[in-house]
Amino acid sequence: MIVSMIASAPSAFRPAGPLPASPLAPYAGPWNARLAAHLLRRAGFGGSPSDIQTAAGQTMNGAVDALIHFPSTDSLPEGPELIDNDEGTPLAAPLVMSSPMPDASGTDAATNAIVEARKQRAMLRRRQELANVTWWLDRMLVSPAPLQEKMTLYLHGHFATASGTKGIYGTDIVDQNWLLRHYALGNWRDLTHQIARDRSMLKWLDNARNVKAHPNENFARELMELFTLGIGNYTENDVRESARAFTGYTFRRRTGEFYFNVAQHDDGDKTFLGHTGNLNGDDVIDIIFAQPAAPKYFARRLLEFFVYSDPEPELVDAFAATIRKNDFNMAPVMSALFRSNVFYSDRTYRALVKSPVEFTIGSYKLFGLTEVAPQTVGVLNRMGQVPFHPPSVKGWDGGAQWLNTQTILARENFASEITTAAAQGKNFLNAGPPANARDEAQALTHTILQGDVSPGSVADLESYLDGRGTSADGMLSGENFEERMRGAAYLTMAMPAYQLS
Amino acid sequence: MQRSRFLIGALAGLTVSANATDLFAKALAMPALPNVAPGAADDRVLVVINLQGGNDGLNTVVPYGMPNYYRYRPTLGISPHDVLALDNTIGLNPQLGPLKAMYDKGQVAIVQGAGYPNPDHSHFRSTEIWQTAEPEHYVSTGWVGRFLDEADLPEANLFNAVALAPVLPAVMVGRRVDVPAIAALRGYGLSSDGNVSERAAFATVVRDDRVPFSSPYLSTVATIEDHAQRGSEELPKLIAGYSSQATYPATPLGRSLALAAQIVGSRLGTRVIYVQHGSFDTHAAQKPTQDRLLHELADAVKVFYDDLAAHGEDKRVLTMTFSEFGRRVAENGSRGTDHGEAAPMFVIGGGITGGLYGKHPSLDALDNGDATFTTDFRSVYATIVEKWFQRPTTGVLAGSFPTLPILA
Repeated sequence: MIVSMIASAPSAFRPAGPLPASPLAPYAGPWNARLAAHLLRRAGFGGSPSDIQTAAGQTMNGAVDALIHFPSTDSLPEGPELIDNDEGTPLAAPLVMSSPMPDASGTDAATNAIVEARKQRAMLRRRQELANVTWWLDRMLVSPAPLQEKMTLYLHGHFATASGTKGIYGTDIVDQNWLLRHYALGNWRDLTHQIARDRSMLKWLDNARNVKAHPNENFARELMELFTLGIGNYTENDVRESARAFTGYTFRRRTGEFYFNVAQHDDGDKTFLGHTGNLNGDDVIDIIFAQPAAPKYFARRLLEFFVYSDPEPELVDAFAATIRKNDFNMAPVMSALFRSNVFYSDRTYRALVKSPVEFTIGSYKLFGLTEVAPQTVGVLNRMGQVPFHPPSVKGWDGGAQWLNTQTILARENFASEITTAAAQGKNFLNAGPPANARDEAQALTHTILQGDVSPGSVADLESYLDGRGTSADGMLSGENFEERMRGAAYLTMAMPAYQLS
Repeated sequence: MQRSRFLIGALAGLTVSANATDLFAKALAMPALPNVAPGAADDRVLVVINLQGGNDGLNTVVPYGMPNYYRYRPTLGISPHDVLALDNTIGLNPQLGPLKAMYDKGQVAIVQGAGYPNPDHSHFRSTEIWQTAEPEHYVSTGWVGRFLDEADLPEANLFNAVALAPVLPAVMVGRRVDVPAIAALRGYGLSSDGNVSERAAFATVVRDDRVPFSSPYLSTVATIEDHAQRGSEELPKLIAGYSSQATYPATPLGRSLALAAQIVGSRLGTRVIYVQHGSFDTHAAQKPTQDRLLHELADAVKVFYDDLAAHGEDKRVLTMTFSEFGRRVAENGSRGTDHGEAAPMFVIGGGITGGLYGKHPSLDALDNGDATFTTDFRSVYATIVEKWFQRPTTGVLAGSFPTLPILA
């Protein structure tokens, strides 16, 4: 009872005011650095001051084209460093004990052997997890195809699968990541067919154990609830029938390849969403994608990730029509969204909270850094988002869920560290000779926040730069310039706008 | 955002020096607390201990009088000679000695077989279910968060509830009350704290007035930044006056409960404190891990209540444990146990009626190898909301659940 109340409560986070007319029609207004930075934040991970200049120097259509028709990424590393495993067995393989299992009376030596072997395996697995995450973060940072990585991150949250649990170890999750990247701007019906065959997903939602005699509904349920339709668009009976259709979808233990185990497949008639026959899992997916609820579900999820929270039903319907018209081919769909009136409207601008990944990678880009420090994984953990480790199959809620005192402190402290690191490198963010405090405060807030600050904050920043109130330290000068500018950049990153995308 | 503007106003015209910052902090250190008599319903505190990873209930509250227990637990079964018997069927794990001492004084209630229908065996999902109290739906608020929202707490208090955890757990998420997440006092703060001018500037630049854009998240961001900055500066000062003779175990849980006692004793108006302990995910070689964790639990809780009692605070603090699931009844081939279903909960405090509640799950009729729940965990939540906090469960729990006579 309370649930339906909660679910239907209007979100406090939908932008105020009316939806513009023709929200998805091409935007024809002015183009400037502010909107170019907005596009780079949403369709990528932000950019350096020169990236923003470049995009602002193009037309809006040119800037979007550059994102959609991205260059080859062949020069990037194909995968993470592979952690050595002395025994030569894959990290995902079940641990086979070399010592015999202890009997009921058990010896301490046997117990210790198990504990020791598991410890070793756990250590190697943790190192591989870390290598996986840093590999992807580095790719987000340096890829010449930021939209490809952004769509991959979206899909990772959509088909959320966590590594390091349920037998998903080693580079299982990296294989899934490549599947998502391959279809990032491709056909998402095809992607869903492939996801149903993905080894990590088969383990994660137990379909590898979904057999004729004991159907396991986990994947069948989440496929509709979280991946394609949303609650309310199917019945419990559809879940049961779908689970039967997916029986026998498993993988070969030796190679990890998908394998349709005919012997474990239930080949009786099933009735699913009004269709009756000897349906298999692929039939189920095709039936799902023919439901009007499917494009609507994808439309809502995409708008919440790329545009703003709690989008209006009429906007969802209009975007769903775009998805349906393009038959789930996402390149033209995303292309239309990034050129639309609503995307460049005031209601969309800074209307989302940056995710921890957007916050950290965007900061690296801002300062022109090209390698992600391994400690960033720990920092992301404190902020509440580690790629490949979503909290559940529901992915990350985003929005207000990113914000609490501890995660905000983690963000501020990361800003303090990265400005220190950047300051050690070069006279960052300032091309010309040191100017006066007022000009530097203006320049910094423009470079970092496109001027999205309270005039009071700029004045506060100027006071800080001039050492006002700190007595003997003196005004901004060549001597204290580096230190003060570092502090001022940190303070600018603490301003509310920097938390917003 | 009123508060932020007030602060900026207070700072304007001040020469910001180390002294001024101190003065400023002192001005803030006068918490606007409701005037509540100790022991009144409004003054009560709940401590929630999350036993993360799925604690093996059968080896915590041991059904040593059920023959099937030893059949399913050939190597992990705890001998009748070792259990700390509560009656002729049920006993406690020998590592829980300090808790047994509290049980004997009537300060511990054990709710046997707590769980919910159609249990989920995933850590994530089952944790979420226990935290949101919603087994059948995905909701974004926790039951404590909803309780805080409904409880008419003073908005100005930054510490209406605290989560002693690195990330705000779902159970503490509400729609109105912002609960600070604090991993440990050390490290809870801005790393620029040594730099006086930077810190002073931080308080002023975090403002949302007259920004040239509108965002539905703007005031939320500004509020939380303000709370994080002020709260992390204030908290150490607010609790500095509390002194204690207690020696807490040098474990993460010991440190958390020491901080919890300090927060309770400093009377910050805090109503709920969340702490976590684990990991109990003992798929292999369970005994050494679970023994250590249970020992740490009992030890820390006993010191916590002794400490509270020494400060006259023990009767206004209720502690509840939960874990996302119990474990399989039959041990596996690695001297461990896999994910299961029902498990006991502890409710601890100076003002309760201790004893065994509910029925121990049957070990004769298993549900696919799992113990079936006998008490819905939401009955325990309902008992806490209605009897401890003396509030209705409307808006907190979906549906109505019978309360247990743990509390009068």
